Amino acid sequence: MVRFKNRYVLCEVVSEDPRCRQCIEDRAVSLAVRDAIGRVHGDYGLACCSISFTVKYLNAYTGTVLLRCRKDFYRLLCSALPFVRQLEGRNQRYPCALRTLHVGGTIRTCQKFLIQYNRRQLLMLLQNCTNEEERRCIQKSVLSCSLTEEQPQSGDEDDDDGIE
Amino acid sequence: RPAGSMETPEVPAATYERRVVRSGAEHHYLRVRLELPDGGARPSVAQFKQLVVSALRELHGEVGAALPVDVLTYEEKTLSAILRVISSGLVKLWSALTLLGFYQNRRCAFRVLQTSPFLLALSGNSRELVL
Repeated sequence: MVRFKNRYVLCEVVSEDPRCRQCIEDRAVSLAVRDAIGRVHGDYGLACCSISFTVKYLNAYTGTVLLRCRKDFYRLLCSALPFVRQLEGRNQRYPCALRTLHVGGTIRTCQKFLIQYNRRQLLMLLQNCTNEEERRCIQKSVLSCSLTEEQPQSGDEDDDDGIE
Repeated sequence: RPAGSMETPEVPAATYERRVVRSGAEHHYLRVRLELPDGGARPSVAQFKQLVVSALRELHGEVGAALPVDVLTYEEKTLSAILRVISSGLVKLWSALTLLGFYQNRRCAFRVLQTSPFLLALSGNSRELVL
């Protein structure tokens, strides 16, 4: 019995309203998730999941959210995430949904997953983009996050800017 | 090199079969009594079930309220009832009944008198045995 083990849940905020992006803040997301847990699992579930509950990382541009909770109660948290229906901030409510991408034991594994996921998302965006200018932007991003072949003697730097 | 013809060992005919059931019974039965110290209107059986479900909803949320709980018998005079619940939900039900404090803004308490995985065991009570 050495240390407290946590689980980190990586989610993505999916919303049809583009104004929802500006409302993604850690307090708003935290309140919405706690409210959903309280509805679905009651006082007991709310208390269990709130022991070590925080929003560890938030990216409003991509809508990526990283939540933390205790390892014993991560199932309560994961089962309550589909019941988050709206985000409230600055007296505005926007309907949204939380999509779970990955559950990991450490922030590092979640970051590794997020980097790979974002790389794949960039490639998909490249396929679906309509504008020539967008295409150039995305191509530049894709090139900047892949390994360069020209300098084998320099340290093998994995140019990770998946969190962009 | 494969060995020559090997004789299949003779399997003795089974004379008995042993089954170990760890999970026990499917349902658990609870005999409970609702105490309403103020002498007001007594809840009917539907209101009693509503009270049990609302206690579950408060403590365990929608998942708890969806637990299959049945009121098998109910006596309005003594406010005692026999509840049946799926065995996996016994802890949730019992904890919800323990922590229920109010019925329509009146103080109340649930007393669990007997519990058993078998309904027949609730018919006798050694506590009220008169020797």
